[in-house]
Amino acid sequence: MKRFGWRRLVASSLLLMALLIKAGAAETRPQYGGTLRIAMREAPASLDPCDATQADSLARRNVLALIFETLVTLDDRGRLHPSLAVDWQFGPGNQRWQFRMRHGVRFHDGTALTAEIAASSLRTANPSWKVFAEGEAVVVELDHSDPDLPAELALTRNSIAKKNGGGKLSGTGPFHIEDWQAGKKLTLGAEENHWRGRAFVDAIEVEMGRNFHEQLNELELGRANLVEVAPQQGHRVAMEGGWVSSSQPMELVALAFSGDPKTANEKSLRSALALSVDRGSMKSVLLQGAGQPTASLLPNWMSGYGFTFSTDADLKRARHEREQVSTAPNWTVGYDANDSVARVLVERVALNAKDAGLVLQPTTAATADLRLVRIPLASADPWIALANLAETLGLAMPKPRGESGEDLYAAELALLAGQRIIPLFDLPEEYASCPVLNDWRPAADGSWRLDEVWMGKDRP
Amino acid sequence: MRHAIQNAFQSLKLSLVLFFFCSVPVGIAAATEWSGPAQQLAQKIVAVTGPGAVAVTVENRSSLWTKNVDAISGELRVDLEALGVRPAKPEQAAASAAVSLSENAQSCVWVAEIHQGAGASAVVMVSVPRGDNAGFAHESMPVSLRKIPLWAQEDRILDVLILEEDSAPRQIAVLDGEKVSIYRLKNGKWELDQRLGITHARPWPRDLRGRVMEAAAKDHLLDVYLPGVFCRSTASLPLTLNCRESDDPWPLVATAAASFPSFGGGPSVQPLGAFYSATRNFFTGALAPGVGKLSTVGKFYSAAALPREKYLLWLFAGTDGQIHLVDGVTDQAAKLGWGSDVASVKTACGSGWQALATGAGENAGNSGADSVRAYEIADRAPVPVSAALDFPGEITALWTEAKGDSAVAVVRNRETGAYEAFRLAAACSQ
Repeated sequence: MKRFGWRRLVASSLLLMALLIKAGAAETRPQYGGTLRIAMREAPASLDPCDATQADSLARRNVLALIFETLVTLDDRGRLHPSLAVDWQFGPGNQRWQFRMRHGVRFHDGTALTAEIAASSLRTANPSWKVFAEGEAVVVELDHSDPDLPAELALTRNSIAKKNGGGKLSGTGPFHIEDWQAGKKLTLGAEENHWRGRAFVDAIEVEMGRNFHEQLNELELGRANLVEVAPQQGHRVAMEGGWVSSSQPMELVALAFSGDPKTANEKSLRSALALSVDRGSMKSVLLQGAGQPTASLLPNWMSGYGFTFSTDADLKRARHEREQVSTAPNWTVGYDANDSVARVLVERVALNAKDAGLVLQPTTAATADLRLVRIPLASADPWIALANLAETLGLAMPKPRGESGEDLYAAELALLAGQRIIPLFDLPEEYASCPVLNDWRPAADGSWRLDEVWMGKDRP
Repeated sequence: MRHAIQNAFQSLKLSLVLFFFCSVPVGIAAATEWSGPAQQLAQKIVAVTGPGAVAVTVENRSSLWTKNVDAISGELRVDLEALGVRPAKPEQAAASAAVSLSENAQSCVWVAEIHQGAGASAVVMVSVPRGDNAGFAHESMPVSLRKIPLWAQEDRILDVLILEEDSAPRQIAVLDGEKVSIYRLKNGKWELDQRLGITHARPWPRDLRGRVMEAAAKDHLLDVYLPGVFCRSTASLPLTLNCRESDDPWPLVATAAASFPSFGGGPSVQPLGAFYSATRNFFTGALAPGVGKLSTVGKFYSAAALPREKYLLWLFAGTDGQIHLVDGVTDQAAKLGWGSDVASVKTACGSGWQALATGAGENAGNSGADSVRAYEIADRAPVPVSAALDFPGEITALWTEAKGDSAVAVVRNRETGAYEAFRLAAACSQ
């Protein structure tokens, strides 16, 4: 047997050991217990997943995903996975879909999940669908072909929720509601018998309606473990030693016109505006390097072809387009008065437009010729995301839906050809967390997956 | 009714056998991997430009390695020339094609932006499934660890038992939360022999762990340990598996002392069991029968036995973050910066037994990938004796194999999300 030269080995190894320990604690298995405290800007008044009156946001979706579950889920690559449904089949033409339900799942009020309850929940969320239970399966029958139906069922609004007699909502998710002060604070407790196992943390407290500044204060004072960070602040927070993590870009910032261009002149003016926007300087100065300039609807990480849409300003061409029209109207451009980033972006757009000979008047009024909009992408599935964007912007999604990347590209081209929207930036969701929060990393699509995080003494 | 996407895992699972992923954009990927897509893209370009002089540029906008970019560029140029395209400088060309090797979340996307004269541009593209890459680091250390791929699948792998082997494993049992799958190597490919379902009344805890072990008694083949559940198979193929609720202790080493040989003339490794929590991810600390005078230790995640000349030293990776060295009389705790999983392997180097411990990957940056390193425990002080063996994600299981000379590690690949099981073998490197 070979023997080591122990003295030499020990001496050389002591340095290595010191380096190893200094490099940070090794990965450890998750520990149970503790309360996770989160702060967020959104202040939803309702936890009903299919309440269409509530503004859609990634934060709201993530909170609801703690309480409610869908039949299927999408991972951050847009791949489908079973959830409350264990498998699924479709009939000819993708018009009839059958989802076989998982056994042994219970709502937080103790009721067993059945195909009837799931079908009823889906009918509430989608009144135009024909949804019914057939044995242990939920069947969805459509009057049109929809190959994306499973991905659509992964959307938060299609979460399975049960209302009891008093109108109280119950879900099957990893956490149950312990206390709910609408728009202010939500307290959740870990569901001991969740079908995927009890979550590691005992409870989650969500403080709502906190602006970015308040959230960072909460984190620094140790009152919150996880907070949102404004895109333009992420770099600074990281430089100051904060733990910052971000999703892939999941929010589109764009200028949206209120209607279609009615004349050739109006088309020329819209082209002039689109060509005048200097996204590069906006990114470096106003967004402090955050976000990705874009001229496409879907971010490049989702489509793979976003770079083919030029984001460069072309003032020469912009002026040429403007000069095709003798008299240009003054446009009002609206933005959310509570959104400081929107204000500075709109002001810069107005300056760029002025260089091209256009007059834009920023306003916080409810009506305007065009608005700066921030639209969270609905899904990591590019077709679902594009269809949802079109719906949000009031655009008609081209049909039929294709399968290939070229089909997706063609659909996006068709949506942009209407000149209703000028994409500006794709923004990621950024978060800062405290060192005791382990296994925290937002998914590419911005999903929190807080049932997998755990509270420890040190970050591994 | 036509059968469609029946459980996305199922279809993917079989395609992941032994890491033959759909495509691997690393140096080992054969140029032929790119031939089909390159040909398709060439055809699409020529459908727009027609034959003649075309200025073609290729730019990499993806995570493809340079050598692969070169290979793809070469394939594309050959295919274009075969279709009548003559490479030309931009000022001499009738058209230009700017090819970008891009990617999205699911696939590589190769895009050609085509310009002809002052006319409008056209965009054509093809999609190619993505793969993953890997890296290695070497240090000069007394023990070298190597990992041998065993199996990969989408479902969380809890343990892999090698049932039959010659120079390489020929039959394996793969344990996940719902089944034990028996695979046999036939003509270089793993084929499913049998799938044995596991019944359990209660939901599994998160961070599920379990063991599949060859039975000590000859009246059956397999013992399966899961939180609150014990399963026993029949003796020969085709097997059946009978599961019941149980709080029986899990063996910390193979129950047959003969299959876990002692070192030199020292004591044999006596079977030791430990009770595992039915609702959590750790052992409760109660031992059966115990280590010397100690019948309980603190709650722990994993344990490793290191035979010594006159006694047996046990390492317990406690839930308190410390490694407890227990010799039957004392329990000495130390903060070593190790992970939660320890195992031991018998080698021909040093004292003959080394501890394996998980840790943060050294080349993983902030990706959360883990590594395994071998240690000698000299005078209760661990000394690293191998380089860190990096894995492509976090290690979710590390168990000593029955023969004691190797271990099984399971890792969740950070890129693919799939679980990959490896055998860890140790060899003397000096």
